[in-house]
Amino acid sequence: MSLLKSRDSKAFSYLYDNYSASLYTIIAQMVNDMEVANDVLQEVFINIWRKIESYDPVKGRLFTWMLNIARNASIDTLRSRGFQNTRKNQSLQDKKDWPLAAKPDWVNIDNIGLKRTVERLKKEHRVLIDLAYFKGYTHEEIAEIEDIPLGTVKTRIRNALMQLREYLK
Amino acid sequence: MNIQEYISSGIIESYVLGLANPEERQEFERLAAEYPELREARDAFEISLENNIQPGTISPPAHIKSKILSQIEMDEHETAPSFSGGGTTVPPVIAGTDDRSGDISRSRMGVRKDFSRILAAAAVILLLMSTALNFYFFNRYREYNEKYQALIASQTELASHNQILEARLLEYERTMDMMKDPAMYIVKMPAAPNAPDPASATTVYWDTRTKDVYLAINRLPKPDQNQQYQLWAIVDGKPVDAGIFDLKDGAGMTKMKNIQKAEAFAITLEKKGGSAVPSLDRLYVMGKV
Repeated sequence: MSLLKSRDSKAFSYLYDNYSASLYTIIAQMVNDMEVANDVLQEVFINIWRKIESYDPVKGRLFTWMLNIARNASIDTLRSRGFQNTRKNQSLQDKKDWPLAAKPDWVNIDNIGLKRTVERLKKEHRVLIDLAYFKGYTHEEIAEIEDIPLGTVKTRIRNALMQLREYLK
Repeated sequence: MNIQEYISSGIIESYVLGLANPEERQEFERLAAEYPELREARDAFEISLENNIQPGTISPPAHIKSKILSQIEMDEHETAPSFSGGGTTVPPVIAGTDDRSGDISRSRMGVRKDFSRILAAAAVILLLMSTALNFYFFNRYREYNEKYQALIASQTELASHNQILEARLLEYERTMDMMKDPAMYIVKMPAAPNAPDPASATTVYWDTRTKDVYLAINRLPKPDQNQQYQLWAIVDGKPVDAGIFDLKDGAGMTKMKNIQKAEAFAITLEKKGGSAVPSLDRLYVMGKV
């Protein structure tokens, strides 16, 4: 840890070797595009490198810190206008041949990592976790999208998280 | 506050996963500092999350790592000094959805912007270099073209000069052959007793087989434009015309008329085109056979 904070590139390389796959998987599950995931991962590790001094072990584990950087970067990417436009164009263009064009690398992406656990949740929970965690929507946005009261969104997400904790144990 | 209730309210998961809003996060951090059991519960969830996420994950393409390493190396060289004081701008340790830092995307935009700036600058530099090179090479081309034309001209001049020399050399060779030929009868013709130019001298080479006569001029003054020298063969005491000739450059011989028989040769200066009878007052040279 102290090595990382003193910007030791060997320590950083070790960090990358140990955590890049986990972060890459989350990023890929969120942005759902291999090329974009490559870019985001790159950006995430550069940010980890730049901000390592601000990591405070008292507030949580290093992995949690990095995971949140990865998730936030993915959400930023999902929300960037350019990315949304690309998505829109793609979904219009590729609609008819989408099943054939399915990227082999991504076929099982929903069956690994955190997403595999989330898939075990019942549907009303799964949908909300997907929107909140993997798509980065706020509770208010989810209430609007799903057309359910904000209180219900909060309750369901809380219950979903409790369930998730049981699965993770 | 009942901390156990708080622990099982879902706030830990919400906080760790980054789903808590800023107020919830602040409260959580305050309570975590206060209650060790809350911290323990948080640690436990973090560990189970970490363990759960790792198996079966996909490794990123290998080239990503080297890209990142070279990027942070560049970072070190370019912006290292700004880091020491930059601590205040970094977001909270566990950033929530609401304050997910825009500077992540901004920094990426920054990298791209910088990159495109570098590209643009490189393109402009290349264009300038190319223009300069074009100008330079065009000038060089012109210069060399001029030199080439000059070379061709001098080459042509040399070639024609060479042809002249060759022709002259051939003439010398023929002369030499004649002089060496033992069948050539040589008649020396010194200046006549009352010659206008006492330094005059010529030589006749008379081929004893063919009776052809060749004249070599050792020295004769240059005649007027309306005058020409004339060679005479003296046959049985009478002068016979052996041809007129001009003075010419070089030591070549001039072939004269064929003379079957003669006792002597003489040269007089006559009017242009020659005369039937020699003008003895203008007798320059004479030689006996």
